[in-house]
Amino acid sequence: MAMNDLERLVSLQDLDLMIQEADEVAKLGFAMTGYAELQKAREELAMQIRKPLLSRYERLRAKLKRAIVPVKNDICLGCFLRQPTSLAARGREDEQIFTCENCGRMLYWLD
Amino acid sequence: MLKSELASHFNHALFIPELKATNKEAVLKELLNLFVQEKYIRNPAIVLEMLHQRETLGSTGIGKGVAIPHGRTVAASDVLIAFAKSSAGIEFGAIDNKPVHLFFMVIAPPNDEGNVYLQILGSLMPIFNNPENCKRLMAVESFEEFIGIISGE
Repeated sequence: MAMNDLERLVSLQDLDLMIQEADEVAKLGFAMTGYAELQKAREELAMQIRKPLLSRYERLRAKLKRAIVPVKNDICLGCFLRQPTSLAARGREDEQIFTCENCGRMLYWLD
Repeated sequence: MLKSELASHFNHALFIPELKATNKEAVLKELLNLFVQEKYIRNPAIVLEMLHQRETLGSTGIGKGVAIPHGRTVAASDVLIAFAKSSAGIEFGAIDNKPVHLFFMVIAPPNDEGNVYLQILGSLMPIFNNPENCKRLMAVESFEEFIGIISGE
């Protein structure tokens, strides 16, 4: 399945979280032998994302740790502000990327 | 994390006493499908991608017939665990190169209060140090029986 921009960004953030937490998970007893391969996968995925979008992601990540946050029951799980109903309906269906008006993070609707 | 607390994170709907899958990819999909059916996950493709990447980092087949595929994703809102068993065993690229019979899939959101996700992973590992636990889990047929073992009964 071809991914859209938002899905690629979600995958990129999932990868970044995995890389960030790898040492802690290894301490629990999991074998971690593919760190270099994962870094390469991260670079390849980043190259598939349009530059302005990638820059926005990196800026948000540097500032707020998480650039993309889930939205559940119309609540942004980054800052817990309720999203406008009109935005919620479009956010679920559109491939367009919406941001939280309060915290500025990119939004991914869970429901 | 107490055993009783660990047990509270399992769910009857996320339990497969006998997998249909016969290979690694099919196991990941069959387990993920439980989360979709229960409406915990809307986009399994994103989560599957994350699980593939996690296997790139290192096999989650920890040996002794056990695998714990896991990871964090924006596509999940809560920490969720699914359990599945394969009597026949599945080639999963485990660190001891032996087939895997017991699967625990742990999916978590990017952050969770109290870092429950890492606590769950840490609490699961010691269970398999006791060969008796593995033997009992291999024979498990019902969710209630399964929870009894996880709770240390």
